[in-house]
Amino acid sequence: MNGFLVQNGGIQSSIQDMGRQGLSDIGLTQSGAMDELAFGYANMLVGNTLNTPALEIAMGGVVLEAQGMMRIAICGANMQVMCKEKVLALWQTHILQKGDILRFAFASDAQFAYLAVEGGFQTPYAYGSFSTSLKEGLGGIEGRKLKAGDFLLVLAHQNVGEKRKIQKAFVPSYPEEITVRLLKGYQEERFDAEAQRRFFGSTYTFKGEGDRMGYRLSGEKIVPSVTGILSEPICYGAVQIPSHGEPIVLLKERQTIGGYPKIGSVIGVDCFKLAQLKTGGKVCFCEVSLEEAHRATYAFYDFFKKIGVC
Amino acid sequence: MKRVYKIASESSVILYFGESIDPAVSKEVQKAYHALKEAKVEGFYELIPSYASLMVVYDVLSLTFDGACERIESILSHAHTLVEHASSIVTIPVYYGLDVGLDLELLCEEKGLSVEEIIALHVKSTYSVYAIGFAPGFAYLGEIDARLATSRLANPRKAVPKGSVAIADRQTAVYPAQSPGGWKVLGRTPTAMFDATYKGLSLLHVGDSVRFEPISKEMFLRLGGEL
Repeated sequence: MNGFLVQNGGIQSSIQDMGRQGLSDIGLTQSGAMDELAFGYANMLVGNTLNTPALEIAMGGVVLEAQGMMRIAICGANMQVMCKEKVLALWQTHILQKGDILRFAFASDAQFAYLAVEGGFQTPYAYGSFSTSLKEGLGGIEGRKLKAGDFLLVLAHQNVGEKRKIQKAFVPSYPEEITVRLLKGYQEERFDAEAQRRFFGSTYTFKGEGDRMGYRLSGEKIVPSVTGILSEPICYGAVQIPSHGEPIVLLKERQTIGGYPKIGSVIGVDCFKLAQLKTGGKVCFCEVSLEEAHRATYAFYDFFKKIGVC
Repeated sequence: MKRVYKIASESSVILYFGESIDPAVSKEVQKAYHALKEAKVEGFYELIPSYASLMVVYDVLSLTFDGACERIESILSHAHTLVEHASSIVTIPVYYGLDVGLDLELLCEEKGLSVEEIIALHVKSTYSVYAIGFAPGFAYLGEIDARLATSRLANPRKAVPKGSVAIADRQTAVYPAQSPGGWKVLGRTPTAMFDATYKGLSLLHVGDSVRFEPISKEMFLRLGGEL
């Protein structure tokens, strides 16, 4: 059987695709890749469609043994992946042979790396997606993070595709300070001019308080005019302000409904950048118009569609 | 009833039908939810109903915010001609024993009621599913009798057992799986709330009506309940 034998599951590694759709009304979280850009590039390199399951590796520490020949690509955080005493370059394809061992060290520049394999991982399909929802215990390998002894099945290949790499100009960088675009939304009036001025004028720090559900940011506290609202649906990127006054940006494994006031939503394509922000990294928010938010989002998905991987 | 469209994100719109927990408002949400669901609009990825609001998540490659709103409005403006969604009445068997009703004694003390009176108040009403969230299949049911209205536990439990039937404020719910939680537990059901073999996965859907029926410990065990 071709695939990977997991010798070490690392800190938190899980199978992810573009996530679940159409089940939020019965309480299932969206889940899916935290950084769709690195995830998409990895799949694109090995000739997969965008929504093909890949391995999401948070922070690192994974050791995998290849059970046969495979074409792979690793994109995202730099975890100094070693194979046969050489460092494997990111953002390009590699051919593995039976017995090759991939050792991921720990990333210092960003949070998530994606390992895509030609043809995708053949893990169980649950409720319309291959994605693992860790909180719900659904999908992927028994709904949990990888551990030693797991087997990640990959279809055997007689031939593997050619060598490919992402052009340097397209490789994202992971700066320690980012500005994310926020669409002020439906609850803007819950925050007065002074609260908004402080929010947009501050630099927040990501102290590592967060997970696939969302990131809490530390810094200037702002106070909404109400402490709670009637529970309502929550979208990707929603920035909620609980009574402690510090923003929480809700990400892929967010709850489907909730009752904290929200100042707006970070646009999806910038949530991918936020997801990759290293611990200790800084974030500023800037306001974006609906037109610009739409344009940026359209451009992102249209890019993958045009190169034929949507 | 008036509905207000607001931007939630670059790919989602939220509709408000009111601002409070109100059966009439909830009915409007449910009507809109079912009308949009039945319309099966291509590019509408997600329809999420709650107490007084409904979110529609749409595909930005095929729809703009204005385009999505127009599409929703055109469907909803014709919704009054649609037959009201035939929601089902679901009966959930509950064993209200002190061994599984972890907060029954606490409630007796707090409310000055006997265990029998608490059970009688809980089973006498037919509840409506206002929203589903917190966990897959976790349905917020309302409203419980005012005499049962209670606060959440000051110290939430780290693990509320699967199937626990609980109350908080004027609401009641069943925990579909073991999870942390602060609602006060009255009993336990052997019925699965979320199961891959159910049509629609969740036993309950927004708009359904729910009744609780007391069962004996023996029946609870026979129906597959676990203590």
